Amino acid sequence: MGEVIVVTSGKGGVGKTTTTANVGTGLAKLDKKVVLIDTDIGLRNLDVVMGLENRIVYNLVDVVENNCRIRQALIKDKRYPNLYLLPSAQTRDKSAVTPEQMKKLADELREEFDYIIMDCPAGIEQGFQNAIAGADSALVVTTPEVSAVRDADRIIGLLEANEMKNTHLVVNRLRTDMVKRGDMMSSDDVVEILAVDLIGVVPDDENIVVATNNGEPLVGSNSLAGQAYMNICRRLLGEEVPLLDLNARNGIVNKLASLFKKN
Amino acid sequence: MDNSVIIKGTKSGIIVVLNAVITFEELKEAFIKKFEEASDFLGSTQVAVSFEGRALSLDEEKELLSLISKHSKLRVVCLVETDPLKEQKMEKALGEKLLEIEKNTGQFYKGNLRSGQVVEAEHSIIVLGDVKAGAKIISTGNIIVLGTLSGTAFAGSKGNTNAFVLALDMRPTQIRIASLIARSPDNPVKEKEKKTKIVYVEDGNIYMEEFNKNVLDDIRLN
Repeated sequence: MGEVIVVTSGKGGVGKTTTTANVGTGLAKLDKKVVLIDTDIGLRNLDVVMGLENRIVYNLVDVVENNCRIRQALIKDKRYPNLYLLPSAQTRDKSAVTPEQMKKLADELREEFDYIIMDCPAGIEQGFQNAIAGADSALVVTTPEVSAVRDADRIIGLLEANEMKNTHLVVNRLRTDMVKRGDMMSSDDVVEILAVDLIGVVPDDENIVVATNNGEPLVGSNSLAGQAYMNICRRLLGEEVPLLDLNARNGIVNKLASLFKKN
Repeated sequence: MDNSVIIKGTKSGIIVVLNAVITFEELKEAFIKKFEEASDFLGSTQVAVSFEGRALSLDEEKELLSLISKHSKLRVVCLVETDPLKEQKMEKALGEKLLEIEKNTGQFYKGNLRSGQVVEAEHSIIVLGDVKAGAKIISTGNIIVLGTLSGTAFAGSKGNTNAFVLALDMRPTQIRIASLIARSPDNPVKEKEKKTKIVYVEDGNIYMEEFNKNVLDDIRLN
């Protein structure tokens, strides 16, 4: 029986979709059978981040409305054969799907996949309700900014109210230099405010922008963010992985080293 | 009261119910009498007329119509056929004719189609603007984009494999023609220059090539 994980944040732009793409790809890299579901109906972009936009024929709404079978709508990833994407519809809105339908869909996919990862839209309206409906656990993504943390707190409250068993925190786009100067909250500060389990800290990394634009998740690469995401995947599988030393910044030596490793 | 001719009013005109048993001469007499009586009531409006209850020859119809104009102030604009079979036939013929016209005509769409927007047409469509990534254009005929096509285009959506897609700047996410689907390459070569290209089906494959005079000769409409 597979596990359904919802990636959510409340606030927009903190990295839900990036986290979904990287965690999903990372789990597939670790030989798990994974399906990513974009529940952001009307503003889909997980397909773009995964570089699979040109393969879309059917989407989530088509599946729910029985215009096609689930199999037909699942897009196989171009890198990992055990990774699939169920894209969202672009021409509809959140009300095209109900939480009950999402739960049914998740339960059907549970039979076949090890992990079903839902990319939740920003906000706490129906899109959010749809995304969390079938989920067993949640990854709450936040950046170390008061606004994002405030929204994350609200989301965690809503998840608790919906009897979510497991809630994990991902602190995204952390800048150690700013934390050192005291200009940014540290991950510890965020954990203290939100009082939930921390599952990973992802540094602010310009490689993410490049990877997103190319439609290639960077999980598992030598970049710090890539390693951080891989560690999150390992922890999801139950491994004990120490937090990454984010101070080991990608200096020139590291960059050279990674060049050699690639070859 | 003589009921061999009855006048019924409807929204758009009058229905004249005729006795089928009496001779045409008798009928005419009753007809004149009825219309003279009702002339004031009917007034001088423009009406559509239909005859019911009796099979009439073309000449008889003509005669009755001239009697109406002679013995009342009504102006008959048209005679409406009430035979349901004939009506169906006419409707069908009209529909087919309209469809034929549609096949050979196109519809213009002015403006950019942005992500999430869909334009669906029952004939060929010409877009005066861009079709952006995430937008979709569907046509039962051909699609011509006088701008950049970076979204999805679906030509010949009812199965016409002769349909084509043409764009001044062709960089689509996906193109469908009839039941075939082609997608953009995963690592597209970045073309700086805008190139007018045409996408069409040949031998069950979708092809894209630069647009030139020779291609024009190969285009078959419908």
